[in-house]
Amino acid sequence: MSTAIEVRGLRMSYGAADVLRGIDLDIPRGEVFALLGPNGAGKTTTIEILEGFRGRSAGEVQVLGVDPERGGDAWRARLGMVLQTWHDHRRWQVRELVAHLGSYYDDPRDPDELLAALGLTEQAAQRVGLLSGGQRRRLDVALGIVGRPDLLFLDEPTTGFDPEARQEFHRLIEKLAADEGMTVLLTTHDLVEAERLAGRIAILVDGRIAMHGAPADLARAVQAQSRVRWVEDGEERARATDDPSALAWELHRRFDGPVPGLEVRRPSLEESYLDLVGRAA
Amino acid sequence: MNVLWIGVKRGWAENLHVMKDRRELVTQLVGTVGVFALLLVWMGDKPVRGTDVSNGTFMTAGFLAFTVFSAGLMSLPMMISADREDGTLLRLRIMPRGIPVYLVGRGVTLLCQITVQCALILGVGVAVGGVTAPHWATVAWVVALGTLAVVPLGAAIGCLMPSPKSAGAILGLPMMALMVVSGVMIPVTVMPEVVQWIAQAFPLYWQGLGLRSAFLPDSMLAAEIAGSWRPAFTAAVLGGWALAGILLAPVLLRRATRRESGSRLAERRLAAQAA
Repeated sequence: MSTAIEVRGLRMSYGAADVLRGIDLDIPRGEVFALLGPNGAGKTTTIEILEGFRGRSAGEVQVLGVDPERGGDAWRARLGMVLQTWHDHRRWQVRELVAHLGSYYDDPRDPDELLAALGLTEQAAQRVGLLSGGQRRRLDVALGIVGRPDLLFLDEPTTGFDPEARQEFHRLIEKLAADEGMTVLLTTHDLVEAERLAGRIAILVDGRIAMHGAPADLARAVQAQSRVRWVEDGEERARATDDPSALAWELHRRFDGPVPGLEVRRPSLEESYLDLVGRAA
Repeated sequence: MNVLWIGVKRGWAENLHVMKDRRELVTQLVGTVGVFALLLVWMGDKPVRGTDVSNGTFMTAGFLAFTVFSAGLMSLPMMISADREDGTLLRLRIMPRGIPVYLVGRGVTLLCQITVQCALILGVGVAVGGVTAPHWATVAWVVALGTLAVVPLGAAIGCLMPSPKSAGAILGLPMMALMVVSGVMIPVTVMPEVVQWIAQAFPLYWQGLGLRSAFLPDSMLAAEIAGSWRPAFTAAVLGGWALAGILLAPVLLRRATRRESGSRLAERRLAAQAA
Protein backbone atom coordinates (compact mmCIF):
# COMPACT_ATOMS: atom_id res chain seq x y z
CA MET A 1 0.00 0.00 0.00
CA SER A 2 1.49 3.31 -1.03
CA THR A 3 -0.71 5.81 0.78
CA ALA A 4 0.18 6.82 4.33
CA ILE A 5 -2.72 9.18 4.94
CA GLU A 6 -6.01 9.38 3.11
CA VAL A 7 -8.66 11.87 4.15
CA ARG A 8 -12.02 12.48 2.45
CA GLY A 9 -14.53 15.13 3.41
CA LEU A 10 -13.24 15.55 6.95
CA ARG A 11 -15.46 17.81 9.02
CA MET A 12 -15.28 18.84 12.63
CA SER A 13 -17.62 21.11 14.51
CA TYR A 14 -17.75 22.06 18.15
CA GLY A 15 -21.33 22.99 18.80
CA ALA A 16 -22.23 25.54 16.18
CA ALA A 17 -18.63 26.35 15.31
CA ASP A 18 -17.26 24.60 12.21
CA VAL A 19 -13.53 24.11 12.66
CA LEU A 20 -12.97 21.87 9.65
CA ARG A 21 -15.28 22.23 6.66
CA GLY A 22 -14.46 19.30 4.41
CA ILE A 23 -10.81 18.41 4.02
CA ASP A 24 -9.32 16.01 1.46
CA LEU A 25 -5.71 14.86 1.76
CA ASP A 26 -3.62 12.18 0.07
CA ILE A 27 -0.16 11.73 1.44
CA PRO A 28 1.92 8.99 -0.18
CA ARG A 29 4.49 7.01 1.77
CA GLY A 30 7.89 8.60 2.12
CA GLU A 31 6.67 12.14 1.55
CA VAL A 32 7.29 15.14 3.77
CA PHE A 33 4.01 17.01 3.78
CA ALA A 34 3.34 20.36 5.40
CA LEU A 35 0.00 21.61 6.58
CA LEU A 36 0.47 25.35 6.44
CA GLY A 37 -1.90 27.95 7.78
CA PRO A 38 -2.46 30.77 10.23
CA ASN A 39 -3.28 30.12 13.87
CA GLY A 40 -6.82 28.93 14.30
CA ALA A 41 -7.08 27.53 10.77
CA GLY A 42 -7.64 24.00 12.10
CA LYS A 43 -4.13 22.54 11.71
CA THR A 44 -3.88 21.12 15.20
CA THR A 45 -7.45 19.81 15.08
CA THR A 46 -6.62 18.02 11.82
CA ILE A 47 -3.42 16.48 13.12
CA GLU A 48 -5.07 15.43 16.38
CA ILE A 49 -7.83 13.66 14.48
CA LEU A 50 -5.19 11.86 12.41
CA GLU A 51 -3.30 10.93 15.60
CA GLY A 52 -6.47 9.49 17.09
CA PHE A 53 -6.78 12.05 19.90
CA ARG A 54 -10.03 13.54 18.69
CA GLY A 55 -13.18 12.23 17.14
CA ARG A 56 -14.58 13.83 14.00
CA SER A 57 -18.00 15.01 12.94
CA ALA A 58 -17.91 13.52 9.45
CA GLY A 59 -15.62 12.14 6.77
CA GLU A 60 -13.37 9.20 6.00
CA VAL A 61 -9.91 9.00 7.55
CA GLN A 62 -7.30 6.31 7.00
CA VAL A 63 -3.88 6.55 8.60
CA LEU A 64 -1.59 3.68 7.57
CA GLY A 65 -4.74 1.91 6.46
CA VAL A 66 -6.51 2.22 9.80
CA ASP A 67 -9.25 4.55 11.01
CA PRO A 68 -7.56 6.46 13.88
CA GLU A 69 -10.68 6.17 16.04
CA ARG A 70 -10.16 2.42 16.02
CA GLY A 71 -6.37 2.29 16.10
CA GLY A 72 -4.90 -0.13 18.63
CA ASP A 73 -1.44 -0.71 20.04
CA ALA A 74 -0.06 -2.31 16.87
CA TRP A 75 -1.14 0.71 14.83
CA ARG A 76 0.17 3.19 17.39
CA ALA A 77 3.54 1.45 17.42
CA ARG A 78 4.00 2.53 13.78
CA LEU A 79 3.43 6.21 14.54
CA GLY A 80 5.70 8.82 16.04
CA MET A 81 4.22 11.97 17.50
CA VAL A 82 5.85 15.22 18.46
CA LEU A 83 3.16 17.40 19.97
CA GLN A 84 3.39 21.14 20.47
CA THR A 85 4.72 21.13 24.01
CA TRP A 86 5.92 18.37 26.25
CA HIS A 87 6.82 18.77 29.91
CA ASP A 88 6.71 15.13 30.95
CA HIS A 89 9.23 12.88 32.69
CA ARG A 90 11.18 15.79 34.06
CA ARG A 91 13.00 13.75 36.69
CA TRP A 92 14.35 11.18 34.25
CA GLN A 93 17.76 11.37 32.69
CA VAL A 94 17.88 11.86 28.94
CA ARG A 95 19.44 8.54 27.97
CA GLU A 96 17.50 6.63 30.61
CA LEU A 97 14.20 7.95 29.25
CA VAL A 98 15.05 7.23 25.62
CA ALA A 99 16.08 3.67 26.49
CA HIS A 100 13.02 3.13 28.71
CA LEU A 101 10.42 4.38 26.25
CA GLY A 102 12.23 2.52 23.47
CA SER A 103 11.68 -0.73 25.34
CA TYR A 104 7.92 -0.44 24.71
CA TYR A 105 8.59 -1.19 21.04
CA ASP A 106 9.63 -4.45 19.48
CA ASP A 107 12.54 -3.06 17.47
CA PRO A 108 13.68 0.22 19.00
CA ARG A 109 16.60 2.32 17.86
CA ASP A 110 19.82 2.19 19.79
CA PRO A 111 19.59 5.00 22.37
CA ASP A 112 23.21 6.08 22.00
CA GLU A 113 23.05 6.28 18.22
CA LEU A 114 19.79 8.20 18.48
CA LEU A 115 21.22 10.71 20.93
CA ALA A 116 24.27 11.15 18.71
CA ALA A 117 22.05 11.75 15.66
CA LEU A 118 20.15 14.43 17.55
CA GLY A 119 23.21 16.04 19.08
CA LEU A 120 22.24 15.13 22.61
CA THR A 121 25.19 12.91 23.51
CA GLU A 122 26.57 15.48 25.94
CA GLN A 123 23.18 15.70 27.66
CA ALA A 124 22.78 11.91 28.05
CA ALA A 125 23.12 12.00 31.84
CA GLN A 126 21.29 15.29 32.31
CA ARG A 127 17.87 15.52 33.86
CA VAL A 128 15.15 16.11 31.30
CA GLY A 129 13.72 19.00 33.33
CA LEU A 130 17.00 20.90 33.01
CA LEU A 131 17.25 20.84 29.20
CA SER A 132 16.99 24.05 27.20
CA GLY A 133 13.97 24.55 24.94
CA GLY A 134 15.82 23.43 21.81
CA GLN A 135 17.35 20.41 23.53
CA ARG A 136 13.97 19.40 24.92
CA ARG A 137 12.47 19.64 21.43
CA ARG A 138 15.21 17.42 20.03
CA LEU A 139 14.57 14.94 22.82
CA ASP A 140 10.88 14.97 21.87
CA VAL A 141 11.86 14.12 18.31
CA ALA A 142 14.13 11.35 19.63
CA LEU A 143 11.20 9.92 21.58
CA GLY A 144 8.99 10.34 18.52
CA ILE A 145 11.28 8.20 16.33
CA VAL A 146 12.74 5.77 18.91
CA GLY A 147 10.25 3.09 17.78
CA ARG A 148 11.19 3.43 14.07
CA PRO A 149 7.78 4.79 13.06
CA ASP A 150 6.54 4.66 9.48
CA LEU A 151 4.82 7.98 9.95
CA LEU A 152 5.93 10.94 12.04
CA PHE A 153 3.62 13.78 13.11
CA LEU A 154 5.26 17.10 13.96
CA ASP A 155 2.89 19.73 15.32
CA GLU A 156 4.43 23.23 15.05
CA PRO A 157 7.90 21.79 15.62
CA THR A 158 9.91 25.00 15.74
CA THR A 159 7.63 27.37 17.63
CA GLY A 160 9.74 29.33 20.09
CA PHE A 161 13.07 28.46 18.43
CA ASP A 162 15.73 31.02 17.74
CA PRO A 163 16.79 31.17 14.06
CA GLU A 164 19.87 29.04 14.65
CA ALA A 165 17.99 26.28 16.44
CA ARG A 166 15.41 26.37 13.68
CA GLN A 167 18.08 25.87 11.01
CA GLU A 168 19.52 22.97 12.93
CA PHE A 169 16.10 21.41 13.36
CA HIS A 170 15.36 21.72 9.64
CA ARG A 171 18.60 19.93 8.77
CA LEU A 172 17.65 17.16 11.19
CA ILE A 173 14.20 16.57 9.67
CA GLU A 174 15.63 16.65 6.14
CA LYS A 175 18.19 14.06 7.13
CA LEU A 176 15.61 11.80 8.77
CA ALA A 177 13.30 11.94 5.80
CA ALA A 178 16.11 11.34 3.33
CA ASP A 179 17.86 8.53 5.23
CA GLU A 180 14.88 6.62 6.52
CA GLY A 181 12.20 7.22 3.94
CA MET A 182 9.89 8.11 6.77
CA THR A 183 6.59 9.81 5.98
CA VAL A 184 6.37 13.11 7.83
CA LEU A 185 3.32 15.29 8.33
CA LEU A 186 4.15 18.62 9.89
CA THR A 187 2.04 21.64 10.69
CA THR A 188 3.47 25.12 10.66
CA HIS A 189 2.37 28.70 10.26
CA ASP A 190 5.71 29.57 8.73
CA LEU A 191 5.76 29.55 4.93
CA VAL A 192 9.55 29.48 4.77
CA GLU A 193 9.67 26.40 6.96
CA ALA A 194 7.06 24.60 4.88
CA GLU A 195 8.88 25.51 1.66
CA ARG A 196 12.18 24.32 2.99
CA LEU A 197 11.06 20.98 4.44
CA ALA A 198 8.08 19.76 2.53
CA GLY A 199 7.75 18.01 -0.80
CA ARG A 200 4.16 19.15 -0.87
CA ILE A 201 2.26 21.79 1.03
CA ALA A 202 -1.43 22.20 1.73
CA ILE A 203 -2.56 25.62 2.85
CA LEU A 204 -5.31 25.37 5.39
CA VAL A 205 -7.39 28.50 5.83
CA ASP A 206 -10.51 28.72 7.91
CA GLY A 207 -11.12 24.98 8.00
CA ARG A 208 -10.62 24.39 4.27
CA ILE A 209 -7.66 23.52 2.09
CA ALA A 210 -7.28 26.69 0.09
CA MET A 211 -4.55 25.31 -2.13
CA HIS A 212 -2.11 22.47 -2.32
CA GLY A 213 0.86 21.24 -4.30
CA ALA A 214 4.66 21.29 -4.51
CA PRO A 215 6.23 24.52 -3.24
CA ALA A 216 7.08 25.72 -6.76
CA ASP A 217 3.56 25.02 -8.10
CA LEU A 218 2.17 26.63 -5.05
CA ALA A 219 4.27 29.72 -5.54
CA ARG A 220 2.79 30.03 -9.01
CA ALA A 221 -0.76 29.21 -7.99
CA VAL A 222 -0.78 31.28 -4.87
CA GLN A 223 0.82 34.25 -6.62
CA ALA A 224 -1.40 37.21 -6.03
CA GLN A 225 -1.95 39.56 -8.94
CA SER A 226 0.75 42.07 -9.74
CA ARG A 227 -0.08 45.76 -9.50
CA VAL A 228 0.71 48.01 -12.41
CA ARG A 229 0.58 51.76 -11.91
CA TRP A 230 0.91 54.59 -14.38
CA VAL A 231 -0.20 58.17 -14.89
CA GLU A 232 -2.75 58.95 -17.57
CA ASP A 233 -4.47 62.33 -18.22
CA GLY A 234 -2.72 63.65 -15.09
CA GLU A 235 -4.36 61.03 -12.98
CA GLU A 236 -2.78 58.08 -11.24
CA ARG A 237 -4.13 54.75 -12.49
CA ALA A 238 -3.60 51.28 -11.12
CA ARG A 239 -4.64 47.83 -12.24
CA ALA A 240 -4.15 44.37 -10.77
CA THR A 241 -3.26 41.77 -13.35
CA ASP A 242 -2.03 38.21 -13.72
CA ASP A 243 0.08 39.22 -16.69
CA PRO A 244 1.82 42.54 -15.94
CA SER A 245 4.08 42.22 -18.96
CA ALA A 246 1.15 42.10 -21.39
CA LEU A 247 -0.45 45.10 -19.73
CA ALA A 248 2.81 47.07 -19.93
CA TRP A 249 3.08 46.26 -23.65
CA GLU A 250 -0.49 47.35 -24.19
CA LEU A 251 0.18 50.64 -22.37
CA HIS A 252 3.33 51.25 -24.38
CA ARG A 253 1.40 50.88 -27.59
CA ARG A 254 -1.40 53.08 -26.36
CA PHE A 255 1.01 55.85 -25.34
CA ASP A 256 3.14 55.11 -28.37
CA GLY A 257 6.27 55.61 -26.28
CA PRO A 258 7.31 55.78 -22.66
CA VAL A 259 4.50 55.37 -20.17
CA PRO A 260 4.54 58.14 -17.54
CA GLY A 261 5.02 56.90 -13.93
CA LEU A 262 4.98 53.22 -14.97
CA GLU A 263 5.53 50.93 -12.04
CA VAL A 264 5.13 47.13 -11.90
CA ARG A 265 5.10 45.36 -8.57
CA ARG A 266 5.14 41.59 -8.21
CA PRO A 267 4.25 40.40 -4.72
CA SER A 268 6.62 38.01 -2.99
CA LEU A 269 5.47 34.49 -2.20
CA GLU A 270 5.11 35.50 1.40
CA GLU A 271 2.93 38.48 0.51
CA SER A 272 0.88 36.25 -1.74
CA TYR A 273 0.38 33.77 1.07
CA LEU A 274 -0.63 36.50 3.50
CA ASP A 275 -2.97 37.87 0.86
CA LEU A 276 -4.58 34.44 0.48
CA VAL A 277 -4.91 34.02 4.21
CA GLY A 278 -6.27 37.54 4.57
CA ARG A 279 -8.80 37.12 1.78
CA ALA A 280 -10.30 34.03 3.39
CA ALA A 281 -10.45 35.45 6.89
CA MET B 1 9.65 -7.36 26.58
CA ASN B 2 6.37 -7.79 28.33
CA VAL B 3 4.25 -5.22 30.08
CA LEU B 4 4.85 -6.51 33.58
CA TRP B 5 8.62 -6.44 33.33
CA ILE B 6 8.78 -2.97 31.69
CA GLY B 7 6.33 -1.75 34.34
CA VAL B 8 8.45 -3.07 37.18
CA LYS B 9 11.53 -1.42 35.71
CA ARG B 10 9.60 1.82 35.28
CA GLY B 11 8.38 1.76 38.87
CA TRP B 12 11.84 1.05 40.16
CA ALA B 13 13.35 3.87 38.12
CA GLU B 14 10.71 6.28 39.46
CA ASN B 15 11.65 5.17 42.95
CA LEU B 16 15.31 5.91 42.37
CA HIS B 17 14.34 9.39 41.16
CA VAL B 18 12.48 10.03 44.40
CA MET B 19 15.44 8.79 46.41
CA LYS B 20 17.77 11.09 44.48
CA ASP B 21 15.50 14.03 45.17
CA ARG B 22 16.41 14.38 48.81
CA ARG B 23 13.74 16.90 49.72
CA GLU B 24 10.97 14.67 48.46
CA LEU B 25 12.43 11.64 50.22
CA VAL B 26 12.65 13.51 53.50
CA THR B 27 9.07 14.81 53.19
CA GLN B 28 7.85 11.33 52.47
CA LEU B 29 9.62 9.71 55.38
CA VAL B 30 9.47 12.46 57.97
CA GLY B 31 5.77 12.93 57.25
CA THR B 32 4.41 9.78 58.80
CA VAL B 33 7.42 8.10 60.38
CA GLY B 34 8.70 11.27 62.04
CA VAL B 35 5.36 12.09 63.62
CA PHE B 36 5.09 8.50 64.76
CA ALA B 37 8.55 8.53 66.39
CA LEU B 38 7.77 11.80 68.20
CA LEU B 39 4.48 10.50 69.56
CA LEU B 40 6.17 7.30 70.59
CA VAL B 41 8.87 9.06 72.58
CA TRP B 42 6.35 11.42 74.13
CA MET B 43 3.69 8.99 75.29
CA GLY B 44 4.56 5.56 73.89
CA ASP B 45 5.44 3.76 77.08
CA LYS B 46 2.32 4.73 79.04
CA PRO B 47 -0.37 2.05 79.01
CA VAL B 48 -3.72 2.64 77.31
CA ARG B 49 -6.01 3.62 80.19
CA GLY B 50 -7.44 0.62 82.05
CA THR B 51 -5.26 -1.94 80.22
CA ASP B 52 -1.75 -3.33 80.31
CA VAL B 53 -1.13 -2.57 76.61
CA SER B 54 1.23 0.34 75.88
CA ASN B 55 0.14 3.37 73.86
CA GLY B 56 3.07 2.59 71.56
CA THR B 57 1.68 -0.78 70.54
CA PHE B 58 -1.76 0.68 69.84
CA MET B 59 -0.22 3.51 67.84
CA THR B 60 1.99 1.20 65.79
CA ALA B 61 -1.03 -0.68 64.52
CA GLY B 62 -2.79 2.61 63.77
CA PHE B 63 0.11 4.21 61.93
CA LEU B 64 0.67 1.13 59.80
CA ALA B 65 -2.95 1.19 58.74
CA PHE B 66 -2.82 4.89 58.02
CA THR B 67 0.43 4.60 56.04
CA VAL B 68 -1.08 2.11 53.61
CA PHE B 69 -4.30 4.07 53.43
CA SER B 70 -2.75 7.47 52.79
CA ALA B 71 -0.23 6.07 50.29
CA GLY B 72 -3.06 4.58 48.27
CA LEU B 73 -5.66 7.29 48.58
CA MET B 74 -3.55 10.45 48.98
CA SER B 75 -0.10 9.97 47.41
CA LEU B 76 -1.26 7.90 44.45
CA PRO B 77 -4.08 10.19 43.30
CA MET B 78 -1.73 13.15 43.56
CA MET B 79 0.95 11.32 41.56
CA ILE B 80 -1.54 10.38 38.85
CA SER B 81 -2.94 13.87 38.75
CA ALA B 82 0.58 15.31 38.39
CA ASP B 83 1.42 12.77 35.67
CA ARG B 84 -1.67 13.83 33.80
CA GLU B 85 -0.93 17.51 34.20
CA ASP B 86 2.63 17.35 32.88
CA GLY B 87 1.78 15.08 29.95
CA THR B 88 3.39 11.89 31.23
CA LEU B 89 0.11 10.02 30.86
CA LEU B 90 -0.40 11.40 27.38
CA ARG B 91 3.11 10.38 26.37
CA LEU B 92 2.44 6.83 27.53
CA ARG B 93 -0.95 6.76 25.89
CA ILE B 94 0.61 7.31 22.47
CA MET B 95 3.10 4.50 23.01
CA PRO B 96 2.21 0.86 22.57
CA ARG B 97 1.57 -0.80 25.98
CA GLY B 98 1.92 2.63 27.60
CA ILE B 99 -1.07 2.69 29.95
CA PRO B 100 -0.72 -0.86 31.36
CA VAL B 101 3.01 -0.24 31.86
CA TYR B 102 2.18 2.98 33.65
CA LEU B 103 -0.25 1.28 36.02
CA VAL B 104 2.19 -1.48 36.87
CA GLY B 105 4.93 1.10 37.35
CA ARG B 106 2.89 3.23 39.72
CA GLY B 107 1.87 0.08 41.63
CA VAL B 108 5.52 -0.85 42.07
CA THR B 109 6.50 2.66 43.17
CA LEU B 110 3.74 2.63 45.73
CA LEU B 111 4.53 -0.85 47.02
CA CYS B 112 8.15 0.16 47.59
CA GLN B 113 7.01 3.30 49.36
CA ILE B 114 4.57 1.39 51.56
CA THR B 115 7.10 -1.33 52.34
CA VAL B 116 9.81 1.13 53.35
CA GLN B 117 7.45 3.20 55.50
CA CYS B 118 5.91 0.17 57.20
CA ALA B 119 9.33 -1.32 57.89
CA LEU B 120 10.48 1.98 59.39
CA ILE B 121 7.38 2.28 61.55
CA LEU B 122 7.74 -1.28 62.80
CA GLY B 123 11.46 -0.82 63.36
CA VAL B 124 11.03 2.45 65.23
CA GLY B 125 8.16 0.93 67.21
CA VAL B 126 10.12 -2.10 68.33
CA ALA B 127 13.44 -0.29 68.89
CA VAL B 128 12.25 3.00 70.43
CA GLY B 129 8.80 2.25 71.72
CA GLY B 130 9.29 -1.23 73.14
CA VAL B 131 6.41 -2.46 71.01
CA THR B 132 5.77 -6.16 71.48
CA ALA B 133 6.37 -8.22 68.36
CA PRO B 134 3.12 -8.68 66.42
CA HIS B 135 1.71 -11.76 64.75
CA TRP B 136 3.74 -11.38 61.55
CA ALA B 137 1.58 -13.46 59.23
CA THR B 138 -1.46 -11.35 60.12
CA VAL B 139 0.49 -8.11 59.53
CA ALA B 140 1.58 -9.41 56.14
CA TRP B 141 -1.83 -10.38 54.81
CA VAL B 142 -3.61 -7.34 56.18
CA VAL B 143 -1.06 -4.94 54.69
CA ALA B 144 -1.03 -6.79 51.37
CA LEU B 145 -4.80 -6.99 51.05
CA GLY B 146 -5.16 -3.44 52.36
CA THR B 147 -2.77 -2.21 49.67
CA LEU B 148 -4.78 -4.00 47.00
CA ALA B 149 -7.93 -2.45 48.43
CA VAL B 150 -6.73 1.15 48.14
CA VAL B 151 -4.31 1.24 45.18
CA PRO B 152 -6.78 0.69 42.31
CA LEU B 153 -9.24 2.92 44.10
CA GLY B 154 -6.58 5.60 44.45
CA ALA B 155 -5.83 5.33 40.73
CA ALA B 156 -9.52 5.82 39.98
CA ILE B 157 -9.69 8.86 42.27
CA GLY B 158 -6.54 10.27 40.69
CA CYS B 159 -8.21 10.24 37.27
CA LEU B 160 -11.07 12.31 38.60
CA MET B 161 -8.94 15.05 40.14
CA PRO B 162 -8.98 18.26 38.11
CA SER B 163 -5.38 19.22 38.95
CA PRO B 164 -2.59 18.18 41.32
CA LYS B 165 -2.97 21.38 43.32
CA SER B 166 -6.64 20.88 43.97
CA ALA B 167 -6.15 17.13 44.54
CA GLY B 168 -4.39 17.83 47.83
CA ALA B 169 -7.12 20.21 48.91
CA ILE B 170 -9.98 17.96 47.84
CA LEU B 171 -8.57 14.81 49.39
CA GLY B 172 -6.97 16.19 52.54
CA LEU B 173 -10.05 16.88 54.62
CA PRO B 174 -12.04 13.69 53.98
CA MET B 175 -8.89 11.64 54.63
CA MET B 176 -8.30 13.33 57.98
CA ALA B 177 -11.93 12.90 58.94
CA LEU B 178 -11.83 9.25 57.97
CA MET B 179 -8.67 8.74 59.97
CA VAL B 180 -10.26 10.21 63.08
CA VAL B 181 -13.45 8.17 62.87
CA SER B 182 -11.88 4.90 61.71
CA GLY B 183 -10.47 3.94 65.07
CA VAL B 184 -6.85 3.85 63.98
CA MET B 185 -5.85 6.51 66.51
CA ILE B 186 -8.82 6.61 68.87
CA PRO B 187 -10.89 3.50 69.72
CA VAL B 188 -13.90 3.45 67.41
CA THR B 189 -16.30 2.51 70.20
CA VAL B 190 -16.04 6.00 71.72
CA MET B 191 -17.71 7.34 68.55
CA PRO B 192 -21.50 7.68 68.13
CA GLU B 193 -23.06 4.65 66.47
CA VAL B 194 -23.84 6.45 63.18
CA VAL B 195 -20.18 7.35 62.84
CA GLN B 196 -19.20 3.74 63.55
CA TRP B 197 -21.37 2.60 60.65
CA ILE B 198 -19.85 5.16 58.30
CA ALA B 199 -16.35 4.16 59.38
CA GLN B 200 -17.10 0.51 58.69
CA ALA B 201 -18.00 1.27 55.10
CA PHE B 202 -14.39 2.26 54.33
CA PRO B 203 -11.32 0.05 54.07
CA LEU B 204 -9.31 2.06 56.62
CA TYR B 205 -11.38 0.79 59.56
CA TRP B 206 -10.90 -2.85 58.52
CA GLN B 207 -7.23 -2.43 57.89
CA GLY B 208 -6.82 -0.91 61.35
CA LEU B 209 -8.84 -3.69 62.90
CA GLY B 210 -6.82 -6.38 61.16
CA LEU B 211 -3.56 -4.82 62.30
CA ARG B 212 -4.75 -4.38 65.87
CA SER B 213 -5.58 -8.07 65.90
CA ALA B 214 -1.93 -8.72 65.06
CA PHE B 215 -0.54 -6.42 67.75
CA LEU B 216 -2.98 -6.46 70.63
CA PRO B 217 -3.95 -9.18 73.10
CA ASP B 218 -7.56 -10.41 73.16
CA SER B 219 -8.02 -8.47 76.39
CA MET B 220 -8.35 -5.38 74.19
CA LEU B 221 -11.41 -6.72 72.40
CA ALA B 222 -13.66 -4.78 74.78
CA ALA B 223 -12.84 -1.64 72.76
CA GLU B 224 -13.89 -3.19 69.43
CA ILE B 225 -17.29 -3.26 67.75
CA ALA B 226 -18.99 -6.62 68.52
CA GLY B 227 -16.11 -7.47 70.85
CA SER B 228 -14.39 -9.49 68.12
CA TRP B 229 -11.47 -9.13 65.64
CA ARG B 230 -13.79 -10.38 62.87
CA PRO B 231 -10.93 -11.60 60.57
CA ALA B 232 -13.21 -13.18 57.96
CA PHE B 233 -15.23 -10.00 57.70
CA THR B 234 -12.03 -7.96 57.40
CA ALA B 235 -10.81 -10.10 54.52
CA ALA B 236 -14.21 -9.91 52.81
CA VAL B 237 -14.52 -6.11 53.02
CA LEU B 238 -10.93 -5.41 51.98
CA GLY B 239 -11.28 -7.95 49.18
CA GLY B 240 -14.49 -6.29 48.04
CA TRP B 241 -12.83 -2.88 47.86
CA ALA B 242 -9.89 -4.39 45.98
CA LEU B 243 -12.20 -5.97 43.43
CA ALA B 244 -14.22 -2.81 42.95
CA GLY B 245 -11.06 -0.77 42.44
CA ILE B 246 -9.54 -3.24 40.00
CA LEU B 247 -12.70 -3.18 37.89
CA LEU B 248 -13.08 0.59 38.03
CA ALA B 249 -9.52 1.90 37.68
CA PRO B 250 -8.69 0.84 34.09
CA VAL B 251 -12.03 2.16 32.83
CA LEU B 252 -11.55 5.55 34.46
CA LEU B 253 -7.90 5.79 33.47
CA ARG B 254 -8.74 5.03 29.87
CA ARG B 255 -11.49 7.62 29.93
CA ALA B 256 -9.27 10.23 31.55
CA THR B 257 -6.56 9.78 28.91
CA ARG B 258 -8.82 9.30 25.91
CA ARG B 259 -10.02 12.86 26.15
CA GLU B 260 -6.43 14.06 26.34
CA SER B 261 -4.42 15.66 23.59
CA GLY B 262 -1.54 18.01 23.09
CA SER B 263 -3.67 21.10 22.64
CA ARG B 264 -5.88 20.30 25.64
CA LEU B 265 -2.75 19.83 27.72
CA ALA B 266 -1.44 23.19 26.59
CA GLU B 267 -4.78 24.86 27.35
CA ARG B 268 -4.81 23.48 30.89
CA ARG B 269 -1.22 24.53 31.37
CA LEU B 270 -2.03 28.07 30.37
CA ALA B 271 -5.01 28.11 32.70
CA ALA B 272 -2.88 26.80 35.57
CA GLN B 273 -0.24 29.45 34.93
CA ALA B 274 -2.84 32.19 34.83
CA ALA B 275 -4.44 31.06 38.10
